[in-house]
Order: sequence, then C-alpha cells, then structure tokens
Amino acid sequence: MIEVRDLVYEYPSARALKGVSLHVAPATITALVGPNGAGKTTLLRCLAALEPPYSGSVTIGGLDTKQAPRAIHARLGYLPDFYGLYDALSVRRALTYTARSRGIAAALVAAAVEKAAGRVGLTDRLEARAGELSRGLRQRLAIAQAIVHEPAVLMLDEPAAGLDPQARRDLSQLLLTLKDGGMTLIISSHILAELEDYCSEMIIIEDGLIVGGRAIKVRDVERPRYMLEIATARSDLREFLSARAGVDVIEADGYHALLTHTKNALARAKLIRDLLAAGFEVSSFGESTKTLEDAYFKQVGKG
Amino acid sequence: MNPEFQRNLWLELTPRRMFAMVVALALIFFAAALTGGLVSGPGEAAGWLYYLIVVVWGSRNAALSVVGEIRDRTWDGQRLSSLGADTMTWGKLFGATSFNWFGGAICLAVILIDLMGNRGVAVALIELVYYLAIGVIAQAAALLASLIAAGRRHAHSQFGVFLYQAVGLAAAIIVYIIWATADPAGSILARRAPADFIVWWGLAFDARAFLLLSLAAFAAWTLAGCVRQMRLELKMRNGQYVWLGFLAFIGVYVAGFDAWLSGWQSLMHLDAVARRLLLAGTTYGALAYIMVFLEPKDRVHYRWLGSAFAKFQFGPALGELQGWMTATLAALGVGIALLVWLGQTPQDEAMVGAMLGFLCRDMAVVVLANMLARRRGGDFIALVMLFALYVLLPAIVKGMNYETALVFFFPRAGDPLWLSPLLAWSEAVLATALAVGSLALPEDKAAAAPA
Repeated sequence: MIEVRDLVYEYPSARALKGVSLHVAPATITALVGPNGAGKTTLLRCLAALEPPYSGSVTIGGLDTKQAPRAIHARLGYLPDFYGLYDALSVRRALTYTARSRGIAAALVAAAVEKAAGRVGLTDRLEARAGELSRGLRQRLAIAQAIVHEPAVLMLDEPAAGLDPQARRDLSQLLLTLKDGGMTLIISSHILAELEDYCSEMIIIEDGLIVGGRAIKVRDVERPRYMLEIATARSDLREFLSARAGVDVIEADGYHALLTHTKNALARAKLIRDLLAAGFEVSSFGESTKTLEDAYFKQVGKG
Repeated sequence: MNPEFQRNLWLELTPRRMFAMVVALALIFFAAALTGGLVSGPGEAAGWLYYLIVVVWGSRNAALSVVGEIRDRTWDGQRLSSLGADTMTWGKLFGATSFNWFGGAICLAVILIDLMGNRGVAVALIELVYYLAIGVIAQAAALLASLIAAGRRHAHSQFGVFLYQAVGLAAAIIVYIIWATADPAGSILARRAPADFIVWWGLAFDARAFLLLSLAAFAAWTLAGCVRQMRLELKMRNGQYVWLGFLAFIGVYVAGFDAWLSGWQSLMHLDAVARRLLLAGTTYGALAYIMVFLEPKDRVHYRWLGSAFAKFQFGPALGELQGWMTATLAALGVGIALLVWLGQTPQDEAMVGAMLGFLCRDMAVVVLANMLARRRGGDFIALVMLFALYVLLPAIVKGMNYETALVFFFPRAGDPLWLSPLLAWSEAVLATALAVGSLALPEDKAAAAPA
C-alpha cells in the first residue's frame, strides 16, 4: 500500500530524513516510533503528501506524492499531533463539513457523520459545540474527522494523547476494526505500551534513518506470542513444544518458552492439556505483553 | 454548496449577528437622515460605512481566513481536503467576509437609492461596479498577501494579520485614487478636475470606461494570484503560464502609457518604442524586487533547482523557477531589446547595461542575505545591505570627495562609459557566486572540508 524509496527530506539547516525506504502492507497497523526529533512527524507529513521530498519517492496505492498529491490527500485520513477544531461548530456540523470537504456526496453525508460519531462514541454529543468538549472528547472528534470519509490509509500522530484508559481501550478496538475493514494504519507514538494492543509492525526511526533498515514484525494478530512458564525445569521443553502442530518456538530454556501459536482458544486449551499430560508443571501461560518494547530495545541496542 | 463557503456561513452569518448589523446600520442611517452633521445624509454615510465594513474590516477577515486556520491548527486538515484551489479560494474569500458583505449589501442599497435619485440610474450602476470592485480587490489583495506569507511560514502573528490587511487597504487606496481621477463629481479627498480621457498606446479612451476595464482586469489578476497561491498551499504545481501571462499583460499595459514619459526632460530624446521598452523593463525590474522579498527563499528549493539544471533536467527546472527569477529574466530580455533598439547612443546603452547588472546583483544580495540568516530576518538583512549599498556607502564616499567611486554602487555615467556596466556585472557575478556557495547544507560543507 505504501512504498517509500530513498526518501530524503531537508530543512534549510539540516537533513531530517536521510534515505528512508520502507514498505507498508495493506490492512496492517504499523507503529512509527523513535525519540523526539528523530524524524517521525516529518516522515508522516511526507507520507501524507504535505511536504515534498528533496529526493526519493513516496507512493501510496500506486500514486506518487509528487505527481498526484491531491489524489493521495483524497485517500488519506491524517490526525496531526497538534490539531485544531472549529470550536464554534457543533460536532455534527464539524463532521458534516469534513465529510463534504472530503468529497462525500451530499446525500450520503448524514449517514457518514452518524457512523463516524458512533465509532468514536460521540453520538450523544452531536449537537454539542466542539469548544465545549473535554480534551478526551475533542480527541475523539478529531479522530472521527480523520475517518469520516473512510480513507484507505489512516495516519495518526499521538492519537491516544488525552484519552482516559477506557477511551484508549476503545481506540485500540476502533483501530483494529478499521484494520479488519481493510484500512492501512500508521500510528506514531512515544508510548510503546499504548501501541502494544493493536500494532503488528514497527518502524523505528532514529536520526533520520530506519533502524535495521526495515519494518519489524512485532505482533501477528492471528498468531500472537505466548509466554509459557513451568514450575520444575525440563530440558526437553523446546523439543516437546516444537513437535506440537502450529507451535513455533522463538526462544526457550528449562523454565520458560516464548512461542507463537494460533489465537484459537480450543487449540490453546489442547496445547495446555498436552503439556500437563506430558508431565510439564505449567504455572503460567499467557499472551506476551512486552513484545513491542522488547523489539524496540533489541533493535536500538539498549535496555 | 461549496463546503468551505457553507462552513464560513455557519460561523459568520448567525441570526444574532445579522440582527445586530441590521439594527446598528438602521440607527446610523436614521441619525444621518435627521442630523445632517458630519455627513450630508444616509447616502454619504452608507458610502463611508461600506468602506469601513467591506474594505477595512473585510480585508482583515479575508487575511484571517488563512492565517486563522494556521493559528488554530486546522490548516493541515483543509489542505488534505478534496476541495480544489478555486473552490477553496472563493469559499474563503466570500465566506470569511460574508458578514461584511451582508452589511455592505445594506449600505450598497442605500447608496444606490441615493444615487438614482440624485445622479441617475447610469451613474448608480457604474458606482455599483466600482464599490463591488474595490471591495473584492481589497479583500483579494489581503488574502493574497496572507497566502504568500503562509508559503513563507510567516503567517501567525496579529501583526502579520495587520500587515496583510494593510496590503488590502493599500490596494483599495490605489483603486480609490485612480477612480477619483476620473470622477465627474471630484474626489472626496483630493478635489480636483477629473480626467475625461486617457491616452494609451497612442489612442484616447474614455477615462471611466478605461478605468473600469482596468479595475476588472486587475481584480481578475489578483484573484488568479490567490488561486495560484492556494494551489501551492494544496501542494499542486503551478507551472509558469499564468505568471508569464501576467508578465506579458503588465508589460503591454504599462508600455501603453509612454505618452506620460514624453514630457520628461531626460527622456525627451527617446522615441516611443524606446520609452515603451523602458517602461516595460522598469516594471519587470520593480516586480523582480517585489517578488524577491515576497517569495520564500528556500535553500532546499534552490539546491534542488541547481541539481536539476546540473542534470540538464531543464523542463522541470524551468517549471519551478520562482516569480522573481522570471521577472528578472523578463527585465533582462526587454533590457537587451532596448539596448539593440538604442543602437548608436552609447551613453544610454551604458546606463541600461548598468541597471541590468545592478538588478542582478541586488537579486543575488537578497538571496545571499537570506542564506546567511540563521532563521528568519534574512529579508531585513537584505534591506540593510541594499540600504548600505545605495545610501550609506555612497554618502560616505561622497563625503570623502571620491565621487568617481559612486559608480561602484549604482548606475551612473562613468568615464570611460563601459566602467559602470562592467562594475555592475562584476558585482552581480561575485554576489551570485557567494549566494550559490551559501546554499550547501552545513553538514555537506563540513564533509567537503579537508580534515
């Protein structure tokens, strides 16, 4: 869906992106992470055809950002890290304006507005003025504006800033729903834990370059990572697991194993039954929750 | 309906504001009808109120239509919309000022009723066109200024908004003064005899008709300028055709006033063709100075242009030339034509050659100053440098009785004749070399430097 080749972007006094190349597959959620000033926002703005590259190319859905920026804009939803809203407009009018300005036919606007508001939980606030909303609700409205036209690609810069834990959980669910609907998402954030719930790939950008030169697969929604722990050490743990159908062992020692396995609950239950039947004293079995952070620090060589 | 226009209507034309405007205007007209003090009646009061509401206030709202979006961080969202540049431009120009036009329409109605009663329907209709034109030109000029500033990323401050509004007001004042020269009733500010006809390209035209057409043409060019700048903001490419068309128009338009120069002592020996070329060339030179200060001096863009020319990619490179570059090229082209036409008058030729050389030097000086500036303020440094070159240093040299050295600073008849153009072009080459050398990235310079 997104192809970037040797992208160079320069500010007058510095080169912000120094030959970035990457590929983002359709219907995925990719995390864009890195320290402040690494070039995340610049990269997002280049992907959104808001900044022209000095050299190199960015194509989205086969369209080049230099040749067809407006066609790309039409396919994009973009939420910048610092965004503004029309405070004097009601939520309904703000979404109606966005829908109309994004090319939705007049007859379909009302339905699109209702759908977007429903997705972010603003249905009961449609007549409230944007300026009267709390910070979290404003964030939801901004996200609704970014998705009201059902873009093919959605780019969000720090989308969970200002959201309470419940709203963050709702946001994670929304993003996964959008991905399942075929949308390609790129999420930039400082907070790895926030990305953990929904990102399948991660791009680490540091000093204008992609660390490791490519996106890292951190999470497969269909085949999550699980951490197994047993009470008594067994040297044949890896061998036993590897022999089970559908199990891929990433790493293992006598007490622990990190593995990928299908998300199917019955299959997981069968694996646990097999382990117990074979005499393994299973003390813990659960989805690994530190994958993104582990992958990040593994790549940047810290931690 | 245009979504941008609709959004602006939601924000601007609320029932409460419209009611307040109607009541306020009604009270003012009623007072004017009763008292007859400062103004002679509702008609004159409506004229002044129109200027206040549509021109003064309207140009501020037009400037804010983009600056406000940038300041409130909604501009990126608008740039990503599916709206075309023309839709966005007119949606902002007439939407952000819709409340002003609402009040202006009430004033216009009063003006028309007054004029039809006192001066007839024909005059009323002509004045209607004038009032609409001055409102549109003032607001479009303010919007254009704010869009140009947005391109330079200098658009946020209140002082900036005031400057863009001032551009709109300046445009309105020019329109007002020009229109007043042909007003049979005389100007409000400068009461003097009106001009009945205007000589253009040797032909006499009715002054009011000529000025009305001129106003319409300049209003159209101002709107075209807005759309072009909006296209740039929306990341669309402009190409050169519209700008070249404007250069052709303005060259032909200004050259037509050669009769005005025939009375000048120092230019009396020039024939009509030379005077026309001189007018067109001077206009292009003036445009080059205006544009080089208005347009962004983007180091990255200049580096890209340089690399495109170095790779013989002339098509894309020529398409990306900035307005000041093409205006300078036009001035050089017309200047060379003038040199050829002048033929056997070496003094004039030397002066024209020196003027062209100093024009190129000054363009390079402005670019160099912007490259030397760490962040912003490059244009101010450029103004200081040009002030030093044209005023300060010549004053010092003159004070020291080295008047022959003035030839270093501006076009001046030297001895020998070729000295002035030679020095002008030497300085132009030196300034250009320094400007080009300053374009490289600091990290590239460091890499290129010997260890």
